[in-house]
Amino acid sequence: MKQYILRRVGYSLLSMFLLSLVIFLFVRVTGDPVSLLVEPGASPEDIENMRRQFGLDQPLWVQYWHFMASLATGDLGQSFYYRTPVLELYFQRLPNSLLLASVAMTLSLLIGIPSGILAAVRVDGFWDSAGKIFALLGLSLPSFWVGLVLILFFSVYLGWLPSSGSGTPLHLLMPAFTLGWYFAAAHMRLTRSSMLEVLGSEYIKLARLKGLPEALVIGKHALKNALIPVITLAGINLVVMINVAVVVETVFAWPGIGRLLYEGITFRDFPIVQGVVLIGGAMIVLVNLFVDILYAFIDPRIRLES
Amino acid sequence: MLSSRRDHDDPIRGIAQRTTRRDLLGLTALGILAAGTKPARAAEGQLVYASHISLAPAWFDPAETSGIVTPFMLLYALHDGLVKPMPGNPAEPCLAESYTASADGLAHSFVLRAGATFHNGAPVTAEDVKFSFERYRGNAARFIKEKVVAVETPDPRRVVFRLHQPWPDFLIYYSSVTGAGWIVPKKYVESVGEDGFKKEPIGAGPYKFVSFTPGVELVMEAFEGYWRKAPTVKKLVWKVIPDETTRLAALKRGEVDLAYSIRGELAEELRRTPGLELKPVVINSPFWIYFADQWDPKSPWHDARVRKAVTLALDREGINQALTLGHSLLTGSIVPKDYDFYWQPPKIPHDPAAARRLLAEAGFRGGFDAGEYYCDSSYANLAEAALNSLEDVGIRVKLRPIERAAFNTGYAEKKYRNIIQGGSGAFGNAATRMETFVVKGGAYVYGSYPDIDDLFAQQAVETDRAKRAPILHRMQQLVHERTVYAPLWQLAFLNGQGPRVDESAFGLIGGHPYSAPYEDVRLKGGA
Repeated sequence: MKQYILRRVGYSLLSMFLLSLVIFLFVRVTGDPVSLLVEPGASPEDIENMRRQFGLDQPLWVQYWHFMASLATGDLGQSFYYRTPVLELYFQRLPNSLLLASVAMTLSLLIGIPSGILAAVRVDGFWDSAGKIFALLGLSLPSFWVGLVLILFFSVYLGWLPSSGSGTPLHLLMPAFTLGWYFAAAHMRLTRSSMLEVLGSEYIKLARLKGLPEALVIGKHALKNALIPVITLAGINLVVMINVAVVVETVFAWPGIGRLLYEGITFRDFPIVQGVVLIGGAMIVLVNLFVDILYAFIDPRIRLES
Repeated sequence: MLSSRRDHDDPIRGIAQRTTRRDLLGLTALGILAAGTKPARAAEGQLVYASHISLAPAWFDPAETSGIVTPFMLLYALHDGLVKPMPGNPAEPCLAESYTASADGLAHSFVLRAGATFHNGAPVTAEDVKFSFERYRGNAARFIKEKVVAVETPDPRRVVFRLHQPWPDFLIYYSSVTGAGWIVPKKYVESVGEDGFKKEPIGAGPYKFVSFTPGVELVMEAFEGYWRKAPTVKKLVWKVIPDETTRLAALKRGEVDLAYSIRGELAEELRRTPGLELKPVVINSPFWIYFADQWDPKSPWHDARVRKAVTLALDREGINQALTLGHSLLTGSIVPKDYDFYWQPPKIPHDPAAARRLLAEAGFRGGFDAGEYYCDSSYANLAEAALNSLEDVGIRVKLRPIERAAFNTGYAEKKYRNIIQGGSGAFGNAATRMETFVVKGGAYVYGSYPDIDDLFAQQAVETDRAKRAPILHRMQQLVHERTVYAPLWQLAFLNGQGPRVDESAFGLIGGHPYSAPYEDVRLKGGA
């Protein structure tokens, strides 16, 4: 067991190292950030000064070494644009992202799971078709479009909700719904397929043969097992919602991490992009590590096989 | 108006010596009258800006001015300069009461305004001016510092900049090209440190810093002791709303009072909405088509007739109407209209027939395949419209929109050929614009003309303004006659104003894209 855990931790560290290398190189492939921080027409000397200030005049390997050395001390660097430590910016935005993500996730589960169950139980019926259309729209309508339509209808036309920003529960409704719908659709589809698989299994047939009420068969025996992949996906989706709700946070001017990432990308702010991606990656790696270890505890076959 | 007397008089002493008893009586009477009138109302209310761009703390500090205009959006609120662009005057004495340049052009003296203070109550002194200059590390810092041999502070209200050699552009560089002339409090900066200053900046501007949440919101409060006049709006809030449609929605709902950058169809929608007002501001940012291959004898662009055909083919009026509702300025120049030493070229007509005729004379009767048209993708809409005009006369080009940073780098590194659509909002005057975009060695110059280069060298050492101006005018005239560039427009920045606002201060300062000076901003029903 100890060896299994150590191996998993090793894989996680390797993943993080590779992620750091990939994101470090990828942001630099996108071009020179200094050309966005000066007006066209700036003197070459000013441009060079700025490169020197940000350490971009150094060879790539030196830049990477500095980046990793700082990372080892918990320092993600200083934003080129905000001239503020990335970690400080990240933690300023984190509460907003957590709030938005938790409400959006609650909405997505409240909508996605019951509609998925209904679609599976009434397979090929009206509810199934309605669920499929709901999922299709949720997954295919672009978030920026949904967001703008909501703003135009609820803010401009009806005047019920604030168009953007944060601060009150009313500010939260439209961005949470926009973000939640996409994930509700994903959760609905997974719940449906998972339920269909479970409902076709032997033990469900047995439960029905024994004459258990249908509500008990579905609610107790089928749903519990069908929800395992849904909850796993929801965990990963929560991390995604926290870190990369870029479009929704931008449309609604929601001050979260997704918008920080958007700003980082827009201004070629390498430290911000690296920082947000690394923290998001670390969260996913940690969740997976936790799940792997948990599986090993629950199912001895996993640790024996490995 | 800027006092630019070329003598060594102390204007304060001069005024004191000339003041008579009658003047004193008159002043007393005025004082009594002023005391009898209704006192100025205290600042009240709150005005909210919807900013199109995230605000950076570096913009709270004039020392960090990077050469883009955006930081001046905040500098005008928090800080003040010795001399700065103001309504009707591109170099108005502000924290300086007066400015004089010596006859030999080697000394530039400023007398500080009596009673001007920072937000913490400390007076603005000559030491602060010297400290701010020496601390400045932004755009063109080395360039300007290399030219200054010493900054002298003979007394707390007098500062003298001594130069190595005469430099006619000292004032423009000191006051607006750089942030070196925007004054920060020395004692405060030294006590809180550089980072501390960015977290809680103190300046001598009309508004005091209250709070800042990066990427979200900035709040400032009126500084009642501002020397020019006390602001009438108590609190200014900048909310960052990156999406244009959302900004317009927020303006329509009254969540914000002024919204920056509402373009195209949304601007049209704004104009149609009752209660809202479109506030276009022509900024110091001309756009142009550059013929990068005009120095290559094998290129069609080597023939001035072909270049002239392009400039005649462009339907500038139509493009302007379609993209900026007719508010951009069609100057026909690559130099912003408000810049010092600007020369106004004759109006360029839209004449496709003449363009076709010129092409035929140059041997391209049926037009020609002209290769690629490079542009910053943010302005691909302008490029598409220009491209349609060229196609109309048979000049067939392929549009190559390139992401902004990559485009700027490629342009500066001279990687492009054929046609480049460029633009610049860099500060300066006609000379600095020529230096960067026309004269040999310029950052964006792909080739040059020796006679224009010679003229540039002549004006660079000419301290007599009356002699310098004709040289710079002649240079611009040659650029026009040879169609080195085909100018497109001087861009209008379109903004929105809500119903609560009486004076938005958009467009008060020539070429400045943002609302300023802030002490002039008024809400309806305000003081």
